[in-house]
Amino acid sequence: MTDAEVTDCLARGRAGDEKAILELFHYMHPHVAKLVQANLPHRESAEDLIQQACVKVMSHLDQFSGKVPFLHWVSRIAVNTCLNQIRHEKRRPEVRLADLSEDEATVVEHLAAAPDELDASDHVASKELVDKLLLTLKPADRLLMRLMYLEGRQVDEIAKLTGWSKSLIKVRAFRARSVLRRSYGTLMKENP
Amino acid sequence: MNPLDDQLDRLFRAAGQARLGPVPEPAYGVETRVLAAWRAGQGRDSGIWDVALLVRGLIVASVIMALSFLPALKSSSETTSPFADFVQLTDSTVSSDDAP
Repeated sequence: MTDAEVTDCLARGRAGDEKAILELFHYMHPHVAKLVQANLPHRESAEDLIQQACVKVMSHLDQFSGKVPFLHWVSRIAVNTCLNQIRHEKRRPEVRLADLSEDEATVVEHLAAAPDELDASDHVASKELVDKLLLTLKPADRLLMRLMYLEGRQVDEIAKLTGWSKSLIKVRAFRARSVLRRSYGTLMKENP
Repeated sequence: MNPLDDQLDRLFRAAGQARLGPVPEPAYGVETRVLAAWRAGQGRDSGIWDVALLVRGLIVASVIMALSFLPALKSSSETTSPFADFVQLTDSTVSSDDAP
């Protein structure tokens, strides 16, 4: 759907056309789902949260000014819904080698053994290992690390998505990275 | 670069390439909820005005309350001590008792 088509849908929606609203919903749903799934892995309530974010978007649709692309606006609502959901989650104190699956332990070995990039066969285990390491961070820092390192988003983009200032993002990223380095260092020390 | 940082970077790059699970289809009944939310959002205009009116009413009421308390505050500040009346009464009683 192009920006013009979105604008057209919004205009029809404002005139009371429910079909246009459903078109918008089906357009944004995969985008919201991807964002929620990326930021809340292994979570049974992800589907509920996707719905929650979509409902929030629709109930505030009349507040969309059109100054930013529609999907950017939707992303911001989806990310904030995730943040609200994880805000009170507890963090795990540390990750030990014994907590890792066989594949994850192999990834640690591969990383230490050679300076090469990991094989495609290690990607899933790497993702799971990263998920475990991220649990040692505060929920907001965890979300930031995902946006920054797993989704490869720039500071500007994260600032728009979360509403945090650029300096806050940089400070949080630096702090979170230090915690991750420490957690990963503990794993490496245990690695025979 | 710290070797740990290098390894972390490689780990993140590999994790970033892992494919996420398939995007789920909207669950049954979501369309209805979404439409309901949209309708509620549309009808919110009058609700916002109601709230604004309530807030204005509260502000006016607080100002009236504050103004009505002003004379009382003024008279209490003129009195030097809260026990002034009591002391004055006691004095007059004592002096009248001592009188022959």
